[in-house]
Amino acid sequence: MLPLSLLSAAQNKPMLVELKNGETFNGHLVNCDNFMNITLREVYQTSADGDRFWKLKECYIRGSTVTCAQIKYLRVPDTLLDSVKEEQARAREASRSARGAGPGSRGGPCLYFHALPRI
Amino acid sequence: MSSLQGYIDRRVLLVLQDGRAIVGVLAGFDQKSNIVVSDCRERVYSLDEGVDEIPLGLYLVKGDMIALIGEIDDAIDQAVDPSTIRAEPITPIRY
Repeated sequence: MLPLSLLSAAQNKPMLVELKNGETFNGHLVNCDNFMNITLREVYQTSADGDRFWKLKECYIRGSTVTCAQIKYLRVPDTLLDSVKEEQARAREASRSARGAGPGSRGGPCLYFHALPRI
Repeated sequence: MSSLQGYIDRRVLLVLQDGRAIVGVLAGFDQKSNIVVSDCRERVYSLDEGVDEIPLGLYLVKGDMIALIGEIDDAIDQAVDPSTIRAEPITPIRY
């Protein structure tokens, strides 16, 4: 499971994001991108020493400042996990056949494999 | 080519640049060494009491904060009683 697929699957879920300076942001994930830039809503910001708190309606966090994200109570449905895995397998397959399909190549053994019935 | 693929679904120890030690099951990684660890716990070392384990749950750690990833030998790990370990905490990296 790719970290970014997990993050995008965590949309609208509560999470805690910690920055490199130690500040933490506790809120619901609104959106994220490939740089791990993140928008959160209903945020509780905590200072690095943990003695000051702020409440923010919404905030944007640049991905490069993030240390880690604790994803709380994230329930990834099994079907989603499977579809992420299948997606990754497809991507691997595509890159392999793109490399292997030179002139005179028969397309690689994967085509044959796909034709086999599932047991 | 070095890869983390062989560590998938194994228990690993992450040491972060701020000196934290996190153990958990490696669930995924990407090109930038961003890491997904499930069932993870932070191990807090100190000189005057045993190792404290703080449960953290599912974590996504950014690759640029990771100093070290190592596989844990479960048999050896379980043979050690953490309450008997006294160790100085790892100091954070300063630039």
